Amino acid sequence: MAAHASAAVNEELNYLNWQKGIWSWLTSTDHKRICFLYLFAILFFFLAGGVAALMVRTELAFAGPQIITDPHTYNVLFTMHGVFMIFLFVVPGIPATLGNFLIPLMIGAKDVAFPRLNLFSWYVYMVGAAIGAVAMFNPVDTGWTFYAPYSTTTGTSVSLMVFAAFVLGFSSILTGLNFIVTIHQLRAPGMTWMRLPVFVWASYATAVIQTVATPVVGMTLLLIIAERWFGAGIFDPSKGGDPVLMEHLFWFYSHPVVYIMVLPAFGVVGEIIPVFSRKPLFGYKMVVISSMAIAAVGFIVWAHHMFVAGISDFSAKFFSIVTFLVAIPTAIKVFNWVSTMYKGSISFKTPMLYAMAFVFLFMVAGTTGIYLAMLGVDVYYHDTYFVVAHFHYTIQGGAVIGLIAALHFWFPKMTGKMYNETVSKFAFAALFIGFNLTFIPQFMLGMDGMPRRYYDYPAQYQTLHTISTIGAYLNGFGYTFALANLLWTALFGKVKAPRNPYNSHSLEWQTQSPPIHENFAEIPVVTEEPYSYGTPTGRGH
Amino acid sequence: MSAVAHPIVDHNVPAGEPPHIHHMDTVTAYGAAKLGMWLFLATEILLFAVMFCSFAIMRYYHLAEFHDASKHLNIWAGGFNTIVLLISSFTAAVAVTKAQKGDNAGVVKNFGISLVCGLIFLAVKGYEYSEKAHHGMFPFVWNSDFYHYKNFLGLYFCMSGLHALHVIIGMAILYWYGIRPAMRSRFSGKYYTPVELGALYWHLVDLIWIYLFPLLYLVG
Amino acid sequence: MLGLLGQQGSDFAHKVDYAHDVVTILSVICTVAIVGVMLYFAVIYRQRDGKDHETPRIEGNNTLEVIWTVFPTLVCIWVAWLGYDSFVALRTPPANAMEINVTGRKWAWDFTYKNGKKTTGELVVPVDEPVKLVMTAKDVLHSFFVPVMRTKADVIPGRYTYEWFRPIQTGDFQVFCTEYCGNEHSKMLARLKVLPKAEFERWLADDSEARKLASLKPSDRGKELYVSKQCVTCHSLDGSPRVGPSWLKLFGKEGKLADGSSYKVDENYIRQSILQPQAKVVQGYPAMGMPSYQGQLSDDDITGIIEFIKTVDGTQKVEVAPALPKKSAASRAGTTPAERGKALVNDSGNLCATCHSIDGSPMVGPSFKGLYGRKEKLADGTEVTVDDAYIKESIYKPAAKIVQGYGPVMPAMYEGKLSDQDVADIIEYIKTLK
Repeated sequence: MAAHASAAVNEELNYLNWQKGIWSWLTSTDHKRICFLYLFAILFFFLAGGVAALMVRTELAFAGPQIITDPHTYNVLFTMHGVFMIFLFVVPGIPATLGNFLIPLMIGAKDVAFPRLNLFSWYVYMVGAAIGAVAMFNPVDTGWTFYAPYSTTTGTSVSLMVFAAFVLGFSSILTGLNFIVTIHQLRAPGMTWMRLPVFVWASYATAVIQTVATPVVGMTLLLIIAERWFGAGIFDPSKGGDPVLMEHLFWFYSHPVVYIMVLPAFGVVGEIIPVFSRKPLFGYKMVVISSMAIAAVGFIVWAHHMFVAGISDFSAKFFSIVTFLVAIPTAIKVFNWVSTMYKGSISFKTPMLYAMAFVFLFMVAGTTGIYLAMLGVDVYYHDTYFVVAHFHYTIQGGAVIGLIAALHFWFPKMTGKMYNETVSKFAFAALFIGFNLTFIPQFMLGMDGMPRRYYDYPAQYQTLHTISTIGAYLNGFGYTFALANLLWTALFGKVKAPRNPYNSHSLEWQTQSPPIHENFAEIPVVTEEPYSYGTPTGRGH
Repeated sequence: MSAVAHPIVDHNVPAGEPPHIHHMDTVTAYGAAKLGMWLFLATEILLFAVMFCSFAIMRYYHLAEFHDASKHLNIWAGGFNTIVLLISSFTAAVAVTKAQKGDNAGVVKNFGISLVCGLIFLAVKGYEYSEKAHHGMFPFVWNSDFYHYKNFLGLYFCMSGLHALHVIIGMAILYWYGIRPAMRSRFSGKYYTPVELGALYWHLVDLIWIYLFPLLYLVG
Repeated sequence: MLGLLGQQGSDFAHKVDYAHDVVTILSVICTVAIVGVMLYFAVIYRQRDGKDHETPRIEGNNTLEVIWTVFPTLVCIWVAWLGYDSFVALRTPPANAMEINVTGRKWAWDFTYKNGKKTTGELVVPVDEPVKLVMTAKDVLHSFFVPVMRTKADVIPGRYTYEWFRPIQTGDFQVFCTEYCGNEHSKMLARLKVLPKAEFERWLADDSEARKLASLKPSDRGKELYVSKQCVTCHSLDGSPRVGPSWLKLFGKEGKLADGSSYKVDENYIRQSILQPQAKVVQGYPAMGMPSYQGQLSDDDITGIIEFIKTVDGTQKVEVAPALPKKSAASRAGTTPAERGKALVNDSGNLCATCHSIDGSPMVGPSFKGLYGRKEKLADGTEVTVDDAYIKESIYKPAAKIVQGYGPVMPAMYEGKLSDQDVADIIEYIKTLK
């Protein structure tokens, strides 16, 4: 993509150093700085959620009580893990960090449409996080799903925690709304819809889901508070309410939310593979259409979480069939990514390794998802460790690996520095092996019928649990190592990154590294497709 | 590029001129603001959709209770409030036309009427609530005679309460983004975005009530 | 085919397993193929010597896109059909299925048979006969999962759900609760016992307590229930003090409640005290002393008890060791001593759980949790370590060594009812409750 950005700018002055002091960060409306505000916040909760996960895994390493002496503490820990990871880490995950950083750069804009709203969203997020932290004084033991009537009757501070989730949802809505408007209104001249990089398309689809689905769960959570405070009688059966209604409303958001998490990761992989294969993204249009199709179909499949929840058999059949519809666009994406590598000139930088790992992990996530869409098989697998393993492959193997891949890929642009490849590849190996070691045994536990959210289990399951726990530690080590490597480089690294280290064609690489405050000295004019790699006459190997 | 940040939205422009926005031109800014508001209204509708959905299902389960309980609502107060809100919506629409013509006094007057209507609405709502509380049909002071209406009344208070909150927010928006700048002759044919968006929000508040009123007071 | 899901216990299990195996084979093929192609491309199209080489500008291929849209669609339709087919089998109980009512509560499963027989924690069914479980919950959501039968359904308060299966082999099988329900979720287990048909019939008819009760006059029925429901544990007939008020000349009595208001024992007061024991507690008695019998006693049962209470004048005598089978079925179930001990503790005939919690919460007697090995001070001031001998003595001769702060209320009814082996099993169980 040819960009006519002027080179006559002061290369030393960039968005990181043009204003100094913590206050200039906390009041900055620059989308690139807000990216970092989010990044530090979400990684903090990634750490907290990860510690909770390791405690849970340690407890489960062997049958019988280990480090946690009472089931309540265990229940609190897995709830903490879920709430932190979902609401505070993965949902804001890629959109609020890299989405913020990249969308204006990729479409050739100076900032998002509503920069002040963007900063406000971060503060809303922090307020939500603070409320959640206060709720930790009497931590919630409901699981992240807040199912009634357990959530409406338990003595823990559910009201505070769901209110925190409501506030966080508000932040998510505002971010999504901002991105939609930005992509509609602020594209540079010549940046037509069909020239948008797939990451922007994926972020657009994500933003639509954020805007449309989040209000539903927000209201549902408020109704739980109403139920707890004055017995509104909507979800609690002892007051004439309907707990299954709560599940419906909850999953109406919480299924699409999976696509909020994973669609941006699809976008990331769609950016990385062409660059490191030196090939245009295979079937760009189909990749774009499939993103939008996933977002659309994602709204009508929610009740596949409820096949055994007491819904009618007719509903179960309907939701099973539409669920299979999601499999098709997802498969199309995978085929296109792999085909992109055909006759390429492939280099194996760390981001490419993550992208290829993503394809494998997502194949596992996707195919195991098929089991759960199949009615008869899901009845067996529902609420067993198979489901736990499946969604960790989707969310961790998909969204989190996508985030880590993206952080490595755009790191030179974000910080102007280059990390050590050897170290990052070593970290990649640790977390990839650790991840599979954690969750493949959990698939097998699910096959043996081991239910989830169990503080203790019959001895027959012990071996697999022990292996899983070992894997979890390796996985945690890998993440720590990968992120520490990036953090260390950002703070103390000496190797300067060039403007466009991967010789990429998309707009964000055409401005300096790190970019100036308003991204481009001069708004670029776009004249080419986003992935114009290779030559019409090129033959490859 | 200088090390001094310029404000994102700079209102230091001659009266009637659109504010200077550092990262987009005036036309884009107008389009962005309008699209943003429409999207926000969509999220608001989805917020209420949850309660409409819950209402439908609870009504299905507790038809008789809903039928009886709705008779305890003051249909005259509700009807009066409906008319009040319709008037306020009309004046809000008029205010937009006035702003487009650069008639800032007209904006103040018409938004002022909408604001007063909002206050009347809240007063009547407050009267209805206190009446309910007096009879023990209020969540915190259940009279056991009415406890079997809890499903209806629970939803009634959730829905009308959230709507009342939106009325209050709407009034704040009308004042802050409409009346206050209009008193400084801020609007003209070139620049009336805040008036239009404020009116849009106010129409939404009205629209939701148009659905709430028959559902809660009339259908039963 | 692959046997990934383990033993098949129901006649439709093979359908589920077939669907499961088909999708497993397809998944493995697809994953290996796609990842294989990716790795193949990665190897043969890799950059040599770190140098970029010329690549063709291939932007897509419509034929391929059509192929890989249509092909997965067809596979999905097939697989969806397999899942659908097995689901229909799972959800279509035959009309002649034997119905058993299941109630989930924190944290146990109660089963009620058509003849009134009730069990807790153990579902006994005949082999080769269809069984339909009609299920509801008392408090929060639960889910009844029998892995070996491949069936599961949520159990929801305020409505009924069902599941069914036709067992194809005898044996003991695990039942899990699979919907998170709070602290003891992971302990909310039950045992499914599939018996040969004749043995099942014997088992079902064996305890015809319910039918016998129905034929009795109300006061005799109440007397039977007084023993079988363990009222005897806490309420004496001769005026002697136990955990709860004695039933001697109880009816018509007046006095003060814990909150200072006055009460009079009439029919409604007794009924409420049985169903909501915490509502009106008489002064001087523990507030949480009695569990609710809601759902365990029918209206006729309660009437019977009321009538019995009216007759208590000090002349009644009851056989304290109840006429329950010396060794309940539960005591033989389970594979380890601790599991057998657990079954005995939960057995409705023994009712240990009425007065001893397993989660450390205080009830009438000391909680079993953390009990073993603890040093306790006795009422007479001496100290004792809770070991095998102490527990055995406490079970057979409860009054011998009573820990400070507890009353002499445990009935001496277990000698002869529980064998030495039973007691040893219970001790093993208590040891596991750390």
